Amino acid sequence: MTTKIPTNLKYTKEHEWALVEENTVTVGITDFAQSALGDIVFLEVPEVGTNLKAGSTFGVVESIKSVSDLYSPVTGEVVGRNSDLEGSPEKINEDAYGSWLIKVKVKDTSELNNLLTAEQYQEFCNTSH
Amino acid sequence: MTTLRTHLYDEHVKLGGKIVPFAGWDMPVQYTSVKDEVLAVRQNVGVFDVSHMGEFFVEGDDAEAFVDHLVTNDILNAPNGKAIYSPLCRDNGTVIDDLIVYKLKPGKVLICVNASNIDKDFNWMKSKHQGYSCSLTNCSNIFSLLALQGPKAFETLRPLLSELPDMEYYSIFETSFQGHPVIVARTGYTGEDGFEIFGHHGTIKSLWQKFMELKVTPCGLAARDVLRLEVCYPLYGHELNDEVNPYDAGLGWTVKLPKQSFIGKETLVSKTAKYKLVKLILDKGIPREGYPVLNSKNETIGVVTSGTMSVILNKGVALARIEFDKTPSDDVFLVDIRQKPFSAQLTKKPFVTGGHK
Repeated sequence: MTTKIPTNLKYTKEHEWALVEENTVTVGITDFAQSALGDIVFLEVPEVGTNLKAGSTFGVVESIKSVSDLYSPVTGEVVGRNSDLEGSPEKINEDAYGSWLIKVKVKDTSELNNLLTAEQYQEFCNTSH
Repeated sequence: MTTLRTHLYDEHVKLGGKIVPFAGWDMPVQYTSVKDEVLAVRQNVGVFDVSHMGEFFVEGDDAEAFVDHLVTNDILNAPNGKAIYSPLCRDNGTVIDDLIVYKLKPGKVLICVNASNIDKDFNWMKSKHQGYSCSLTNCSNIFSLLALQGPKAFETLRPLLSELPDMEYYSIFETSFQGHPVIVARTGYTGEDGFEIFGHHGTIKSLWQKFMELKVTPCGLAARDVLRLEVCYPLYGHELNDEVNPYDAGLGWTVKLPKQSFIGKETLVSKTAKYKLVKLILDKGIPREGYPVLNSKNETIGVVTSGTMSVILNKGVALARIEFDKTPSDDVFLVDIRQKPFSAQLTKKPFVTGGHK
């Protein structure tokens, strides 16, 4: 399966992407994830002000056929959620990297080193499926 | 355990189908989009490879009597050429499988069973076979099966076969495709008009390729599940299982107690339902299998057996098994979705009305 993996992003093994801009991290799900899920019909993300822990679940994304947990790539506070996706979560299927879910303000940026690079994520997708 | 592949496996891969293991088989779960595949079947025509399902033939003087003894529905009095849906029960009334019996001609019956239950069903039937003058053969390995479903199914299929009358829903007809015999039944699992076509592997592969040439939408198991759930058809392993009887799954209409004798009759004659299968629609939230169902006091009264987002309604829909004596008199149902209660409306009619004849 071919999938788009932009090189400017970081990735998790749970198929989230993270765009790092100073101490703010924008989070979404990868093209691989949206393709595996199929038609996305429901999204649940936390309110602004919620504290997230790296590696723990922060919400769910549902397609017609399945429910998947979302995992936070970083520890920090939710400072934004994408209101464009409320009512039209199928936009994630159309453009996974253009459809961010939340923005998180991180305290400890050294944590970002634990995330996968595009190259590592590509390798991970190739070997795990 | 190694998974099995249907003879159309390479076709599915070529079409970009996503392959998942299902009932011991590698099957296409979707090709492009579940939504598009569901809509193709509701509005136009789609085709499913369901070759994983099992086919048994019963032939001989006692064929009808034997099958009538095995299942709860009435086979003996149904006319030839008819298809009959029925549970297959144990002596204690629990459901081994649900299946379709096709009366091909006097002394020849075809039974189509769920893929996951082929061995269980065949061994059970074999154990009850003694004393009947008929053969029982498992032909699952030599037959492929396609389901062509949707309002345009008849006009799509008719020109391809040597003969195809505008047959009744739930009837069967033996005909041929490119000179090779096929058995065509006006049945399906979508609520729409459509046909199930049984034939040998090569014949069915050519027929599949013909459908692709004609731009019939290939549909996967995910669309099939949404379609059957929208019209509230039960699925073995969900609404039906080894522990429930037909009454528990709302299938009382398939238990024909006036029949002289059949396996399970003695128990089913005095048995009442322990559970009730209800249809629930949610304005918000998507119910999934295993989610608890609550009453207005937040007490658990049952469980969702199948749930999805209906493509047609654009709402969450569920079939749920409720303990009969806890069915709320106020008809207030809540579905517990990730520890949050979502209100659900009880409906008597199927969520979607299919267009079958």
